[in-house]
Amino acid sequence: MTSAPEMRYLAHRLLTYEAVAAKTSEPMESPTLRVYEKLRQSLSAFAGTAAFESLAFRALSQAKSEAPGLWAVQVVAGGSLKGLGESEPQIDMDKDLAGEFSAGDGGIILIDRLLGLLRIFLGESLTLSLLRNAWPAEAFDDRNSGNRRKA
Amino acid sequence: MSIQDKVKINKLPTGVPGLDEIVGGGLPEFSFNIIAGAPGSGKTTLAHQFVFANATPERPALYFTVLGESSIKMLRYQQQYTFFNPDKLSGSIRFINLSQVVLEQDLGAVLKEITNEVEKANPAVVVVDSFRTMVRKPQSDMELQSFIQRLALFLASWQATTFLIGEYAEDELRDNPIFTVADGLFWLRQTPERNSIVRKLQIIKLRGQDSVPGLHTFRITDAGVQAFSRTFGLTGHLKDPPSHRRLCFGIPELDKMLGGGVREGDSVLVAGSSGTGKSVLATQFIAEGIRQGEPGIVAVFEERPQAYAERATSLGLDLETPQKDGKLKILYLRPLDLSVDETMHSILDSVQKIGAKRLVIDSLAGFEMALSPGFRADFRESLYRMIFALTGIGVTILSTVEVDESFTEFPFSTYSISFLTDDIIRLRYVSIDGQLRKIMVVIKMRGGNHAKDIREYEITDKGVVILGKRLTNYQGLISGIPVHSGRPDSTDEPSQDTGIEHGT
Repeated sequence: MTSAPEMRYLAHRLLTYEAVAAKTSEPMESPTLRVYEKLRQSLSAFAGTAAFESLAFRALSQAKSEAPGLWAVQVVAGGSLKGLGESEPQIDMDKDLAGEFSAGDGGIILIDRLLGLLRIFLGESLTLSLLRNAWPAEAFDDRNSGNRRKA
Repeated sequence: MSIQDKVKINKLPTGVPGLDEIVGGGLPEFSFNIIAGAPGSGKTTLAHQFVFANATPERPALYFTVLGESSIKMLRYQQQYTFFNPDKLSGSIRFINLSQVVLEQDLGAVLKEITNEVEKANPAVVVVDSFRTMVRKPQSDMELQSFIQRLALFLASWQATTFLIGEYAEDELRDNPIFTVADGLFWLRQTPERNSIVRKLQIIKLRGQDSVPGLHTFRITDAGVQAFSRTFGLTGHLKDPPSHRRLCFGIPELDKMLGGGVREGDSVLVAGSSGTGKSVLATQFIAEGIRQGEPGIVAVFEERPQAYAERATSLGLDLETPQKDGKLKILYLRPLDLSVDETMHSILDSVQKIGAKRLVIDSLAGFEMALSPGFRADFRESLYRMIFALTGIGVTILSTVEVDESFTEFPFSTYSISFLTDDIIRLRYVSIDGQLRKIMVVIKMRGGNHAKDIREYEITDKGVVILGKRLTNYQGLISGIPVHSGRPDSTDEPSQDTGIEHGT
């Protein structure tokens, strides 16, 4: 199953934004986990934990078929992710910041799938509105994208 | 206390077309309201319309969902409505799910959660959807009452206008404490009537202001809930002072019979059996109005506007040009399961849009057939309200009605609605000299002189044409089977009735 390029791009944006933020955190957190946790909190508050859990299960199931590296990852009660740290490939920050996540990276695929499900149910406009409640405007700003930085 | 000392209650727009009129101008600010009704009755949509109409970034809306429909699915469907503005979801409207706290904790914790969110957001509007599921867990009456009381007090103190949505049955009205605490109680119903669904809204209670009593029909369209007030949105419109102007048909002999025409603002009934020329007369009435510079509306139920206009052309009347010029609108109101109020809404819209002075309803039988079966029972009452409202704003209405031709009776209408009309023109067939000919008589004109004569007429390519003088050489014309009296035809001028009511 292929995802919409817009969602893939959005997932990349959010991961890039969190990758920068993660650099200053101690211990350094996985950008995927940071994005996922923000989505979990925001969507659980919005739609309820059970609704988020269902979406997360579905997104993970889709992502696993594309990224076998996610085989050990699980959605546990409350919608949290377990096992991502062990399976997630080491992220090359320079590569990430340049906007070069590889298609095989489990993290971006999982986030992409989760956003893709939101897009299917709510549409792009509403999905973006919800995300704007969880991230500051600069996370969506083109100027912060890896491509722009690279230029 | 003088009027100036009284607190002014601001009225908030409901965001529901037609509902502001019903609630007396808008919803009282800071009120605590219940929207009740069965599943699928439009409760959530109504609440969403209010939220989207009032939420701002400075004073947002908090929409608490509980168990039941998930917010994701709810928004998936709600965003299909035209009032739904996705931009409002970043900053102006927040959806918060309380399922977990409701499932795992008690009402005290639920109240605390709501309190926390309200304190953080300082909302202008708070909705709990569904409140019924929130209080479904077993608890004492006292605990429930205390929760509702504290919730209402807290939200009012925070200057929030609140809606609690619940699937309540009408027999719960008596004992449920929530209905005592509420300032406003909106009840939505949908009832199957044979093959149609009839939706009705009732404002059972609204503290602080006058709402329009009774059951108001509403419809859910792609624009959301649309309500149709029983007063047709004309509350506050003063009845125009009685006009002495006469509106002509453009048929000189008939206008003479009517004492110069029908009085402006009258309701005229043209009754007759099939083929007697009721629609022709109605078309001439509207065409003459346009000729005199009076825009008109024709509401047709039995034929399409194009066919109606083409028939007019065959009578030498041009209805195409005035339609293009915005002086005439032919409304085709055929879809089944209409309510009178919806029909009225369409007519009123058009009346206001083109400033119509004349309205033709062709015919009442078609009108009745276009209504949902549930509304047909109230047809007379609805018709009364409609005619009263329209003539009240100075529109002159001509309605046609088909009557069963009888050779023993002379009925004016099968609907017994002659009391709704100011003027009645009766058309009928008579058997004369081996021919089926047509006669016309003005039965009544409220407040005006009219001819008592029975006149023969024909329908020609010029429309209705009245022939000769009154028929004095026949007796028993209104029976349909007159007898030749041997008297010569009249050469008199039409004799006049004073127009004083004789009790038709």
